[in-house]
Amino acid sequence: MRRAAIFLAMLCMASAATVGRAANPVQSYTADPSASRLDFIGIQAGAEFKGTFRKFTAAIDFAPDALASSHFDVQIDLNSLDTMDDDRDATMRGPDIFDIAHFPASRYVTRSFTKTPTGYSAAGTLSLHGVTKDVPIDFVFVSTPGGAKLEGTAKLNRLEFGVGQGDWKSTESVKDVVKVAFSLILKPRSLSE
Amino acid sequence: MPTQEPRTRFTAVAQLLHWIIAALIVTQFALAWTARDLPPGTHKLALLAWHKSFGMTVLMLAILRVAWRWGNPPPELPAGMTPLERTLARATHIAFYALLFAMPITGWLMSSAKNYSVSWFGLFTWPDLIAQNKTAFEALKTTHDCLSGVLLVIAVLHILAALKHHFWNKDDVLLRMLPFTKSKRGS
Repeated sequence: MRRAAIFLAMLCMASAATVGRAANPVQSYTADPSASRLDFIGIQAGAEFKGTFRKFTAAIDFAPDALASSHFDVQIDLNSLDTMDDDRDATMRGPDIFDIAHFPASRYVTRSFTKTPTGYSAAGTLSLHGVTKDVPIDFVFVSTPGGAKLEGTAKLNRLEFGVGQGDWKSTESVKDVVKVAFSLILKPRSLSE
Repeated sequence: MPTQEPRTRFTAVAQLLHWIIAALIVTQFALAWTARDLPPGTHKLALLAWHKSFGMTVLMLAILRVAWRWGNPPPELPAGMTPLERTLARATHIAFYALLFAMPITGWLMSSAKNYSVSWFGLFTWPDLIAQNKTAFEALKTTHDCLSGVLLVIAVLHILAALKHHFWNKDDVLLRMLPFTKSKRGS
């Protein structure tokens, strides 16, 4: 009888914990393509240049109080890159840089999240140019009346992904480090999606 | 206060600026002509990065040079020159000064319009003067190219005139801009 009472009490606590977690579910969002931006900043010949990816999808499951069950999945159409110069775009699509004939897309998937003094940090992997590597991102998340806003940055070394073959392996004209900056306007994802 | 003797030679600073800028302009043509024939790539980028850095150097030196000339007027032209020669000499020099500004500025605008910001030897980046604009880039490139042709013609005229003064007129027009020489009169 005493054992049964303890068991019952434990069961109650467990279910309360489950309910507690269920009370803080993640929100599922998708990035509004027309209002969201995914930019990259490289350093070419000593000067920064900015490019953007016009086409990408972002499935964002996030809640500040449910980091453990939060998850990002971002898919980028590399062919949609735009550095505001056709010559440079063509070179970057070509075999020596992104080689989009073989690697048309890139994907970023998170593994875990941590709270930071200014926002959040995500650990995750970036798949690019046939290479998958860890790239952390730092971001802030702000709930808005219509959804949320997700803004953040990342830094990666292009050569770790083999982005830059032949002459482009040299970091003299294009530096290894590339900054990524994103600003996503998130809308709630409908259940049918 | 005694009135100063009119200057017969260019000051050392004026000579220095003249020859540094001259050497930079020769380098600029060499870099531009080499880069022009290269396919897009890292080599072309590297050459153009030097071209831009040197070009911005010319612009800074041109500002210094005008400021220096303002405070230190050049020596008078030789007395024997005809009015036509004087006009031609003045026009050539005014065109030179205009181009010392116009070439780097059109180049800078070109880079801005193509979204390739101008770095100065990788030390710092100059702000973009205009937003990216393909039509503006094409127009600026044509202007930059045309002005380089004008610069080349004027440079040839300038050199021929200096040699003509030295060997034909046997005056000190060339010598007064040459360091380590003495002018024939006044020195």
